[in-house]
Amino acid sequence: MPQRYDAVVIGGGHNGLVSAAYLARGGLKTVVLERRHVLGGAAVTEEIVPGFRFSVASYVVSLLRPEIIRELDLPRHGLDILPLDGTFTPLRPGDGPPARVKGADAGDYLWRVNDHGRTVRELRRWSLNDAEAYEEYGQLMVEMARFIKPILGIVPGDPTENDPRPLLPIAALARRFQQLPERQQAVFVQLMTMSAADFLDQWFETDPLKATMSASGIIGTYQGIRSPGTAYVLLHHYMGEIDGAFRAWGIPKGGTGGISTAIANAARAQGAEIRTEAPVARVNTRGDRATGVTLATGEEIEAGVVISSADAKVTFLDLLEPGTLDPEFEAEVRRFKFRGSSGKVNLAVDRLPDFTCLPGPGEHLRGAISFSPSMDEMEQAYDDAKYGRWSRRPYIDMIIPTLVDPQMAPPGKHVISCFVQYAPYRLDPSLGTWDDNREAFGDTVIDRIAEFAPNIRDSIVGRQVLTPLDIERTMGLTEGNIFQGELSLEQLFFNRPVPGYARFRTPVRDLWLAGSSTHPGGGIMGANGRLAALEVLRARGRKAA
Amino acid sequence: MTTDDPTLAAAVPTVAAGKARHYEVIVVGAGHNGLVAAAYLARAGRSVLVLERRTTVGGTLVSVELVPGVRAPAVAHTVGRLSPAVARDLELRSHGLTLLAPSIRAFAPQPDGRAVVLDADAAATADGLRAWSAGDADAFPEFDRRVRTLARFLAALADETPPDIRVPGIGDALAGLRLGRSFRGLGKVDGRTVLRVLPMAVADFVAEAVESDPVRAVLAWRGVRYTAMGPWSAGTAKVLLDDSAGNDGGATGETVYARGGPGALAEALAAAVRRHGGTIRTDSEVAGVTSRDGRVTGVVLASGEEIVAPVVVGGIDPKRLLTGLVDPVALGPSLRWRAGNLRTPGAVAKVNLVLDGLPDVPAAADDPRRLRGRILVGLTGIDDVERAFDAAKYGRMSDEPVLEATIPSLADPSLVSGAPEGTHVMSVLAQWVPYRLGDGDWDSRRDELGDRVLARLETVAPGITGRVRARQVLTPVDLERDYGLTGGHPLHVEPGLESFFLWRPLLGWARYRMPVEGLYLAGSGAHPGGGVNGLPGRNAAREVLADLRRRR
Repeated sequence: MPQRYDAVVIGGGHNGLVSAAYLARGGLKTVVLERRHVLGGAAVTEEIVPGFRFSVASYVVSLLRPEIIRELDLPRHGLDILPLDGTFTPLRPGDGPPARVKGADAGDYLWRVNDHGRTVRELRRWSLNDAEAYEEYGQLMVEMARFIKPILGIVPGDPTENDPRPLLPIAALARRFQQLPERQQAVFVQLMTMSAADFLDQWFETDPLKATMSASGIIGTYQGIRSPGTAYVLLHHYMGEIDGAFRAWGIPKGGTGGISTAIANAARAQGAEIRTEAPVARVNTRGDRATGVTLATGEEIEAGVVISSADAKVTFLDLLEPGTLDPEFEAEVRRFKFRGSSGKVNLAVDRLPDFTCLPGPGEHLRGAISFSPSMDEMEQAYDDAKYGRWSRRPYIDMIIPTLVDPQMAPPGKHVISCFVQYAPYRLDPSLGTWDDNREAFGDTVIDRIAEFAPNIRDSIVGRQVLTPLDIERTMGLTEGNIFQGELSLEQLFFNRPVPGYARFRTPVRDLWLAGSSTHPGGGIMGANGRLAALEVLRARGRKAA
Repeated sequence: MTTDDPTLAAAVPTVAAGKARHYEVIVVGAGHNGLVAAAYLARAGRSVLVLERRTTVGGTLVSVELVPGVRAPAVAHTVGRLSPAVARDLELRSHGLTLLAPSIRAFAPQPDGRAVVLDADAAATADGLRAWSAGDADAFPEFDRRVRTLARFLAALADETPPDIRVPGIGDALAGLRLGRSFRGLGKVDGRTVLRVLPMAVADFVAEAVESDPVRAVLAWRGVRYTAMGPWSAGTAKVLLDDSAGNDGGATGETVYARGGPGALAEALAAAVRRHGGTIRTDSEVAGVTSRDGRVTGVVLASGEEIVAPVVVGGIDPKRLLTGLVDPVALGPSLRWRAGNLRTPGAVAKVNLVLDGLPDVPAAADDPRRLRGRILVGLTGIDDVERAFDAAKYGRMSDEPVLEATIPSLADPSLVSGAPEGTHVMSVLAQWVPYRLGDGDWDSRRDELGDRVLARLETVAPGITGRVRARQVLTPVDLERDYGLTGGHPLHVEPGLESFFLWRPLLGWARYRMPVEGLYLAGSGAHPGGGVNGLPGRNAAREVLADLRRRR
C-alpha cells in the first residue's frame, strides 16, 4: 500500500527545500525526495579532502530573498552569513596603462572594497574620471536594482493570453517605468539589451576595472563580456541583500551547505518530511494528471501534487513516460538551451596564496579575488570556449572561505574555492571527453593562478576538479548549467522555460516546476521555489500561511 | 545627372539666397532618407531645401565612374528593401527608376566545389538544398513561412511612429491598438515565437530549422550583414527579420538592382523632390544647426552662409547631428552624454572592381545565372562566420573575411555600355573590417585590405586578380570621411537590441522629433533603421507635417 502525501517535492536543492517549507507551512502533507545522500543540490558542503570542507559547487550568497529569510525564520534555523569584503584584481607586470603601472617588476592591482571612499581613492590611482564616474554609476545601479527587484517576485503572465489578469503585475511595472526619470529609463533599456562591456564603456576607461566588473555579467552563461544581453546581470551585484543592506554579499557559515541545512530545518519545523538517497525514477500520471512518483527502488508514492525542482529537461524528458507530453511542447523543451560553461576547482592548501603584486597575507585575500586583468583576455577566454575548448587563460573568481570561517579546514590550513570560466560542456571532439581532460583542465587553472601567485603550486595538499560533466552527473544539472538553463534573453521571464508555461504550471495537471529552470532563474535566490509553492497553494485554494 | 552639374549647383545659391527666408523646411543631407523626407514634404506643398555636402546626391546610394564609361555601385549595391509604398507615393517609376530582380538571389560556393543556392522560388530553393540535406529541403518552406510571418509583424512596426511612452495621446493609443491587432494577428503560436525569437542569436534561430552547416551560415548571413555582431550574438535574429520586413525577401532575402546602379534610385528620388517644387543644393556642407531659446532657427553652412527655416530635418546619423551640429547648451548634458554613447561600430568595407571579363567561378560553371545574385564567399559554416567576426573584436581584420559580391553589369549592361566588350563591374562588401585598427591606420593599410579581399575572391574565382582593370577600396574610415557615416557604420547606428523601435536612436526620442524644437531625424539612425527602405524618411516627414499642421 503506497504512502500518500498531499505534495511530493522532487529534489532537495535549495529551491526544492524552500518550496517544501512553504507547502508544509500552507498545511500540505509534504515529502522531499533527494537522490543524493546530502541535501542542497548545488548548494552543498562536503569534506572532499580529509579535514577540508568545500562548498563544492555554489560558493557565495547574495540573492537569497529576504522575504524567505524572514518568513522561514532562517537565522533561527542556523543560517549565518559571514560578510566578504571587496574584490581584488591582481595584475602582472605591464598590465594596465603604462603610466599607472607601479613597480614594473611586481605589477599593479585593482582593489575595490565595500568602503566606498576607500574604493574611490583606489580608483583615483587609475583614473580621476573613473573615480568620479564610479560614484554616479553606483547610485544609478542602486536605483535600477530598486526598480527591477519586484520582477523577482512576479509570476510572469503570458502576453499572448487574452485574459489580462496575469499581466497586471507587468502593467504595474510598466507604470513605475513611466515614472522613472528619462535617463534611468534609457539606462534600464541598455541594461536589458547591451553587452556588459559596451555598457561599462559608457562610464569607465580603466581596462582592469571594466574587465572585473563585466565578469559578473558572464558568470554561468555561455556568453562573452562583449555579447549583447550580458549587461543585465551587472545588476545582480547591486540587488544582493543581506539583512537589507544593498550590495552586501557573503558566504554562509559552514559553506553553502549551511543554507540548505537551515532551509531543511525550517521545512521540517513546518512538518515537511525529507528523505535522502531516494532517487525518483518516474513521475506517475493517470490521464493528463500527475498522481505521484516511483523511486528507483520501485517504491511508489502517491501525491495530490508533484513539484519538481529538477531542471526542465530532467523533469519533462527523463522523469515522464515518453509520449505523455504533446509533441509541440516536447519540441519546445528540447529547444531550451543549457550549455553549461563553467567549472569549479576546490583546493586544499597548507598556506595562503602569495600575490606578486601585493605580497603577504592581508585584507585583500578576504574578499573575492578576480582573475580578470583585461577585457581582451576575458573575451579571448570566451572565444576559446565558443569553439569547444576550455579557456587557456580562464577567468577565475577565487574565494578563501577559511579566512572568514576557519572551521572549514585544520588550523593554519585553508580551502580555496575557484569558480572557473569557460569550460564548455561540449568539447571539440578532437579533445576527447571531459573524463579525458579533467586533470588537464585543473592544471590550466593552477597555471592561471600561478601567473599571479606563483607559490600556489607548492601549497596544494589536495584538489577537486569539477567539469560541467561532473556537475551534470553529481548535481543532476543538465549539461552542467548552474542556472538550470541559460539565462539568455529569449529564455527569461515569460519565456522561461517554455513560452506559455512560465507560471510554474506544466501541461501535466498537478505537475509543477519549482527549480531555476523557471522565472527568475538561477543563483541561490529561492524565489522560484517560493513562488511555485505559493502558486500551488493558490491553485488549491489554500492560504499561503 | 543634373545635380552633378557644378555650374547648376553654383547657380543655385543666388536663387536660394533670395528664397532662403521662405523655406519652411531644410533637410540636411541628400541621402536616400533625406530625399524621401524632402519629397514627401514638398509633395504636401511645403517649401523644402535639401543641403548636400557632396557633389552628388544619394549618400551611400551612388554609382561611381571607376574608369571612363564604366559605372559601379560605390557603397550600397542592392535596393531590394525599398518600401513599395515609397516607390508608389513618389512615383519613382515615372522618375526613371527601373528595378531588376534576378531569379537567383544568393549563391554561396563551398570548398567542395558545390554551392548553396537561394532562388526567388522557395520550391526551387528547397530542391537545391536537397543536395545538402533532405531534412533541410523539407524544412525550408516552413522556415520561409515563419520568417515571412514574423517579418510581417516587424513590417507593421516599421510603418508606425513609435508611441509616446511619457504622455501617450490618442494617436499613440491608436498606434498601440494597430500594433496590438497585428500582434494578435500572428496567433498564439507565432505570437509566442516572435517574442522568443527577436532577442535570439541568429545562429540558434536557423539551427532550429536546418541542420546543414553551410545552409545555416547562408540563411544566417543577413542577420549579421553590416553589423559588428557575429551569428552567436543575441539579437541578430531580429536583424534578419528586419531585413525581410516589408518586402518579398522571406528566408532568402531580396536581391534587386536599380538600372544604372543605386545612383539611379537617388536620382529618381531627387527628381521627385524637384518635381514637387523642392530645391536641392549640392556642395553645401552644413556646419551647424542654429537655434534660439531651444527652438531651431535654421542652419549655417561651412561657407558661413546662414539659411533660416523653422524646421530642420537631419538625414544624417544622429550622433553627428546631435553631437556635431547642435548647440551643446540647447541639447543639455544628459542628452549629450547619451548621444555621445550611441554605438556606431563600423565593421564593413567596400571593394569595387572593373573586370575585363566575367570571372571564372567553377561552382557556377553549370549554371551561369548563379553569378547574377549575391555571391557569398566564406559562408561555409556558422563557426567560420563567427571566426571572421572574432578578429574585429581585437582591432584586426580576419584573414578569411566574409564577402558579399555582386556583378550588377550582368543584369544591367548599361553600367558598362561605354566599355570594351566583356567588361564587368563587381561590387564587394567585406566583413568584418573594424573601424579602429589595433595597429597602423587605414590610410596606410588600404591596399592591404584590397589585396586580402581579392585573395579571398580567388578561392571561388581563380584568376580573378588577373582580370582587374581598376579597383576602388573604401575602408570604414573612408565611409566616415567621404560619406559622413560616423564610425563608418552604414546603418548609422548599430541595429542591436539596444537600438530598436521605442529606443532607436534614443529612448524618449524615437518619434523623429529631436530634443531641440523644430529639429527632426529622418536618417537610418531612426526607426525602423537602415538598409535602403526609405521608411525613416517617410515616417519623419509624416511627423513633421503633423506638427506643421498643428502649428496653424
